[in-house]
Amino acid sequence: MPKDFIVTALKDRFAELLNTRIAGLLPERYGPASDFVADAKRQLLVASSTELSESFPKMTAPVRWMEGDFDSLAYLRRLSLGEPLDLRFGAVPSLPALLLDDLSNHDASARFQLLSERYACPLNFTLPAEDGVREWVLTRLMVQDRALIEKKNSLRAIHAEDLLLKLNLVALQACAGSDLRFLDALNYYYELLPSAWHPPGQYDWLLVSYFCLYARALAAWISR
Amino acid sequence: MRAGILVNSLPAALTIYDEFKRVPDCEVLVLLFPAPNDSQSLARHVARLFLRRGGLKSLRLVLGRKVIRFRKPLTHAKTLTRLQGLELDIGLHKSGEIYRQSTIDAFRLGILNPHIGMLPRFRGRSVMEWSVLEGEPVGITVFFIDSNIDTGERIVLSEEIDISDCRSLREARERLFNLDAVFFRRAIELLGSEGFEYKLNDGSGHRYYVMSRLFRGAVEKIIMNFEL
Repeated sequence: MPKDFIVTALKDRFAELLNTRIAGLLPERYGPASDFVADAKRQLLVASSTELSESFPKMTAPVRWMEGDFDSLAYLRRLSLGEPLDLRFGAVPSLPALLLDDLSNHDASARFQLLSERYACPLNFTLPAEDGVREWVLTRLMVQDRALIEKKNSLRAIHAEDLLLKLNLVALQACAGSDLRFLDALNYYYELLPSAWHPPGQYDWLLVSYFCLYARALAAWISR
Repeated sequence: MRAGILVNSLPAALTIYDEFKRVPDCEVLVLLFPAPNDSQSLARHVARLFLRRGGLKSLRLVLGRKVIRFRKPLTHAKTLTRLQGLELDIGLHKSGEIYRQSTIDAFRLGILNPHIGMLPRFRGRSVMEWSVLEGEPVGITVFFIDSNIDTGERIVLSEEIDISDCRSLREARERLFNLDAVFFRRAIELLGSEGFEYKLNDGSGHRYYVMSRLFRGAVEKIIMNFEL
């Protein structure tokens, strides 16, 4: 019985996301990323009128560490648009336990760097062996970052790119996995981030890729 | 057994205090701490005492010297020294505090928490809501806390609670929260019973977080339709 109520709620959110946030995107505000934003907007608005499983084919999670010729940010754009990634098997970088210490001890811009380097292929974030980092990222979003935003009722105290990269990674896990906590972190931030918010920094488009991946995660859960 | 109810306001301790009147050989004190970010003025406490429900009962506790008021926060060295001096066996968590290990260690056995979720599966926030959403049993687990989030290893008592006749999320939450006094008493009785053994909170579950409005709405509908 809970599944029916969950799916109904997710369908409502999917429609709202597309009809308000996506429809309201102004690609020209995103400077060099305006083409990406225009593509994402067009693709999602077309998808809203077609069968979900056709518009958003299931994301295939890797079973081994993958690598490719592009960086984390380039792959996030491709994943947002559902484009193929052309990956190959690769060697796992340093131990996650060491990464957790690094992540906890650095400032937000260093964390952004560490996460984007480790997840040069962002799909690796969904691998079972990355469980510790995934839990760390989820806790960071839902405890420290959330508290900072809600206490000050402002996003100024937050490093926007660090926050958005984490949301993008969590969205990949929500697409590929079966743990509702990751999907709900996306729900929560959809409700928390003001609809008019335009993130500062050169990677402002990470907000749009978060919306795209959130839409794909909602579609994946609705279609299950 | 000597127990201390850790609270930020007197009325919060009344139900628990009354429940413990039924337990033989158990002395209970109310340990009143300033709430985080709260004014510590005496006038404010007095106003609470008389304006809130249970004002007269609270006054009786004060006059009976059952209330120990701490002016400094729990983490303050003076508070800790005074707490240690009380030589209490057990703390009963009813405050808005997150405890450091030094505070927990001030009680011989530790501090008990009536968590409104089944451990080890559901740790953290909104766990009753998460249990309903995931179609799992709702319940209460009384366990000795440690300095992390719901990871204390010693579970004293864990029991499913039927909320199928509740008609709203609020009603379901209130049912569980209102059982804290009874569960504290039962936990203390168990601890004093012959052959008692702890269950292990083995960390096998997940930590949950505050739930979105979207999923809270779904939980509300699930509860409203429990018997359909």
